Amino acid sequence: MTTLNPTAPQLALPAAMPARGGRRPDLLRWLVLGLTALAVLTPLALIVYQSVLDAPFFMPDKALSLDAYRFVFDDLDFWSALRNSLVIASGMLLISVPLGAVLAFATARTDLPGRRWLEPWLLTPVFVSPMVLGFGYVVAAGPVGFYSNWWQGWFGGVPWNPYSLPGIAVIAGLTHVPHVYLYCSSALRNLGSDVEEAARVAGAGPLRVARDVSLPMVMPSLLFAAVLVFFLGFEVFGLPLVLGDPEGHLVLTTYLYKLTNKLGIPSYHLMAVVAVLIILVTVPLVLLQRRLLRNAKRFVAVKGKASRHQVLPLGPWRWAAFGLVMLWLFVTVFVPLSGIVLRAFVSQWGEGVTWWQALTLDNFSGLFEQDNLVRAMVNSFAVGVLGGAAAVFCYTALGLAGHRRHDWGVKLSDYLVLVPRAVPGLLAGLAFLWVFLFVPGLKEFKNSMFCIWLAYTVVWLAYGMRLIQGALLQVGPELEEAARSVGASRARTSRDVTLPLIRHGLLASWLLVFMIFEREYSTGVYLLSPGTEVVGSLLVSLWATGAVEQVAALSVVNVLMVGAGLALALRFGVKLHD
Amino acid sequence: MTKLIVEDLHLAYDGVKVLEGVSFQLRAGEVVSLLGASGSGKTTLLRAVAGLEQPDRGRILLDGHTLYDAAAGVNRPVESRSLGLVFQSYALWPHRTVAENVGYGLKLRSVPRAEREQRVEKALAQLGLAHLARRYPYQLSGGQQQRVAIARALVYNPPVILLDEPLSNLDAKLREEARAWLRELIIQLNLSALCVTHDQTEAMAMSDRILLLRNGRIEQEGTPAELYGAPRTLYAAEFMGSNNRLSAEVLSVDGEQVLLGGKDWRLLGRALDWLRVGDPAQAVVRLERLRVTDAPGPNRIQAQLSTAMYLGDRWEYLFHQRDLRFRAFGQTPLTAGHDYWIEFPQQDCWVFPEPVAA
Amino acid sequence: MKIAQYLAALATLTAALSPLAAANQPDYYPASYASLVTAARKEGKVIVYAATDTAAARPLVKDFEALYPGIKVEYHDMSTTELYNRFISESAAGSLSADVLWSSAMDLQIKLVNDGYTAAYASPELPRLPAWSYYQNQAYGTTYEPVVFVYNKRLLSPKEVPQTHADLARLIKADPARFKGRITTYDIEKSGVGFTYLTQDVRVGGAATWDIVRTMGASGLRLQSSTGTMLERISSGENLIGYNMIGSYAYAKARKDPAIGYVYPKDYTLVMSRLQAIAKTASHPNAARLWVDYLLSRRGQSLLAQRSDIYSLRSDVTGELTIAELTRQLGNSLKPIQVGPGLLVYLDQAKRLQFLKQWRQAIGR
Repeated sequence: MTTLNPTAPQLALPAAMPARGGRRPDLLRWLVLGLTALAVLTPLALIVYQSVLDAPFFMPDKALSLDAYRFVFDDLDFWSALRNSLVIASGMLLISVPLGAVLAFATARTDLPGRRWLEPWLLTPVFVSPMVLGFGYVVAAGPVGFYSNWWQGWFGGVPWNPYSLPGIAVIAGLTHVPHVYLYCSSALRNLGSDVEEAARVAGAGPLRVARDVSLPMVMPSLLFAAVLVFFLGFEVFGLPLVLGDPEGHLVLTTYLYKLTNKLGIPSYHLMAVVAVLIILVTVPLVLLQRRLLRNAKRFVAVKGKASRHQVLPLGPWRWAAFGLVMLWLFVTVFVPLSGIVLRAFVSQWGEGVTWWQALTLDNFSGLFEQDNLVRAMVNSFAVGVLGGAAAVFCYTALGLAGHRRHDWGVKLSDYLVLVPRAVPGLLAGLAFLWVFLFVPGLKEFKNSMFCIWLAYTVVWLAYGMRLIQGALLQVGPELEEAARSVGASRARTSRDVTLPLIRHGLLASWLLVFMIFEREYSTGVYLLSPGTEVVGSLLVSLWATGAVEQVAALSVVNVLMVGAGLALALRFGVKLHD
Repeated sequence: MTKLIVEDLHLAYDGVKVLEGVSFQLRAGEVVSLLGASGSGKTTLLRAVAGLEQPDRGRILLDGHTLYDAAAGVNRPVESRSLGLVFQSYALWPHRTVAENVGYGLKLRSVPRAEREQRVEKALAQLGLAHLARRYPYQLSGGQQQRVAIARALVYNPPVILLDEPLSNLDAKLREEARAWLRELIIQLNLSALCVTHDQTEAMAMSDRILLLRNGRIEQEGTPAELYGAPRTLYAAEFMGSNNRLSAEVLSVDGEQVLLGGKDWRLLGRALDWLRVGDPAQAVVRLERLRVTDAPGPNRIQAQLSTAMYLGDRWEYLFHQRDLRFRAFGQTPLTAGHDYWIEFPQQDCWVFPEPVAA
Repeated sequence: MKIAQYLAALATLTAALSPLAAANQPDYYPASYASLVTAARKEGKVIVYAATDTAAARPLVKDFEALYPGIKVEYHDMSTTELYNRFISESAAGSLSADVLWSSAMDLQIKLVNDGYTAAYASPELPRLPAWSYYQNQAYGTTYEPVVFVYNKRLLSPKEVPQTHADLARLIKADPARFKGRITTYDIEKSGVGFTYLTQDVRVGGAATWDIVRTMGASGLRLQSSTGTMLERISSGENLIGYNMIGSYAYAKARKDPAIGYVYPKDYTLVMSRLQAIAKTASHPNAARLWVDYLLSRRGQSLLAQRSDIYSLRSDVTGELTIAELTRQLGNSLKPIQVGPGLLVYLDQAKRLQFLKQWRQAIGR
């Protein structure tokens, strides 16, 4: 008790400190927000500017003009691409939402056999590049694919056609099931069991409970996921690129890609117009999502106690449900991946080829004979590991800049995060190419991995921020308030309390970002240059040049990299979703 | 007439025994409380009755019909037991209005719309919620939410209503009012109710009978007065009321009368269990039974007043005497630091043998 | 004067002292060539943007570096459109770009010349090249690649293989069900190369070309953006015949893949040539000249034919993949695409769109 007095003067000291330490962190915060705004808005502004010119913006003879819009609106291809995009987006909606909801319910709430180990598998399509999947479907289920040939041998004809518009829509729908599954299952897990029990007690059978209580209560999440899937439908690129060619089905993104060539000379202005139009479609959807999320939060405010959930016994139906899950996994994961793996190990395939006689390792040894392919593998790995860490660092900085604050800076960052989400990766990459070509001071970085990394980081901003904010929300505000009250500044609190507490979350985010960066393919398409090759985007350009053997072997390498990340994540118990 | 019979109920989660042979009966128009500390199995017992947990052994009968019988392999699913259950969290469905929440049970029972609306209206009016029918749960206060939860459980006239800590989510002040209101409602509507609570005052106020649960077994069963006034075990004695507890040695036993000895004190008490001379024992005395006096006398211990606390309707005193420490109530302010003589009435000084493994 | 004499002497001396350079230069190269080599060596490297696979070009790059020690080749392989876009973007931005552009998009290369992006250089190899193969001393044809039909050997019997354009149309018409969805060619909206071939078809074959396109279109034509993807589908049997494909790639694939067969159409065979040009803004102009000369030289061309599986342009190169061998087989039916401003016709937006429209009508899309 006697020691109290001597410490009193020391206690007075921190009171003076905020004045000293308070300004700098705020400066840092605005710097972070400012840099984010710059990184997000500059490319966007360039796209919009380019769209109202009649020539590439760097040409001396350019002029302001709406000709590009006129051209696009007059182009029948555009309208057919728009229609196809709508068909595909709607098809995805119709397939992935019910299926995703059913899978989520089956794994979260029923005694589905093997539901524990099934979960990571259910998420695999998220982490596999659609280029790989698309190519896998060609090899596996195309007119003379491995599976088609077997099927034909047994039944005579093949009822499916992955090149048709419905075929593409179905495949896109099946591969987007995990997106719905993610949102739906986390909503189901967060849903208190008591509200369901209350309905049981009131006299409702299990299915009635699912219909009357569980479903309406996860509806906000389901709607959110539905909107997500719908706008992702406008951004799909890899699948229609690979599968749409033979029958000439264009979607908005592949139409944009096609404009690269259509006039024989670069048509940046036309591409920019399509980009603007795509953004005009997706931005309202993203805003709608935001609204939905707010509504969902209102629901959550009164959610019941999340306790041990009673598992719904499905009886004999459990094997039917298991069959459904396995069928989906088989069609969505196993078929394309086995196709691509087989293709990577044979020299030829198709009608009349006995594939085991064509087995070879040449495709892989070929990879190591070409400098650009070797570089691509090294670069991809580096951009995943180092770039992933750097990206998580940036996301964390931005997350902390908005953490427990309620001013217009936070609002700004909220919207900034949404913007890249509305811009398909292909466009973002193109815009970054321009930025790096023409923004003074950045030119030196144009042919460096920094360029690719920055584009990736911006494109996946929304995803990364969700991970980081998820982790940040786990930290009880009173822990930080305690630190502030004993005299730590905001920055100090972040460093000494918040960051150590979200350590595990950051590591998990790093792994998830690693996988996403390995998978990414569209963003780098226009940024590839000798020395900055990455596997995902190289697949696109190799596909365009027709180096199919290399595409197959690189795809396998790509899948292995992502798979390694996934295995690591599971090993460390990283939750693949919140 | 017996409404609900529970016989020899056993239940374990992953090998951890939660219920170890619980039996009791609930008569028509009776309110029974399941009282116990957390982990005593009281909520599990209630949920087992509701059908939300499946016991491993035993029987549950309602109005002579079997709800659950391990031996016969009968287990009626929750939804067909037709009980009313009020959840601790209320578990109101956030996507439905108050009226829809309340009317859901009727809808499931295919009650025609007109009748349904009328009954919901009546139920809400009974609980003073008529004006809130079209609101959503998040627009209600905690007390209102609780009433909606009760209305929802009552509206289809269940034979027995189950209440899981119905008052614990309310503020202290509100809780007392709600307690009286709930008791009144139960009497008025002549309900048969089974109520889980960890609060002894609540249990006594609300119920006709209390089942005190401890580690999945019934420690003692009886009216609130029996439990409070005649505990059969040290645990029961200590669980109810506010108590002073003294550790001592049994010096002599004469029928019910026991002489206890401490370092420098002697007290006469009443043996509520089998005691032997020389055994260590525990004496339990309710705070309100102690009498503070100025002079020595029989069964009095001299102690110094450490502090006195004013509680509004009375004073609470804290006394020290060497290693003894006890509290008492009184109506007058006393001077801290002074010595007083505290009388332990012999009849209210309950003595139990020291528990074997403490 | 004295200084000039001294310098000249020095140059001669250097030439004499670098036996590799001196010894390996053809005798018809001017004496001043040694100083070019010296200047190039000072530059130390040459940046090549090319639409030819790195794998195919590797023998050339290695040989060039062996021939001119001290000059590194920075070889960047990309698609023809990317090559063009990249180059003009970088030129506009004034950042480091290519010294040499080597692309199979003949029209875009000529456009670069016409738009003033390229530098003139009179290569000493000029007299040894066909007159049609270069343009204004700026764009040089480097290869002689026939445009061929590719087919699946397993699924098409030898006597069915179409030998002429008319054969192809007849074959399809004879059994439309069999060829339904199994003929493949370039999507000329996506592939500039494919576009050029078809316009040349029309130039050489006239109206009959549209009949063939219509016949293929009626069969549910499968369109792809590259020869590689078409070869893959033909090899697998998904498609049976590929129309207008790059002969060099077909040759290379056929060597490894027993399912692939190809024919030079006997009525006429288009011949494409990859054009190279030196950038006006080249930061290594001398090294760029050495590379251009090397690629046109007998040494470079021989390697091209023997190691890179690309048909050589020079008549003094012998072997399977040479102009000599093709001429022996096909004679006058070879129709090289003329290197010149004629290629620019369809870079005019209206004309191009008109042609695309006609094509789409013909294939029924």
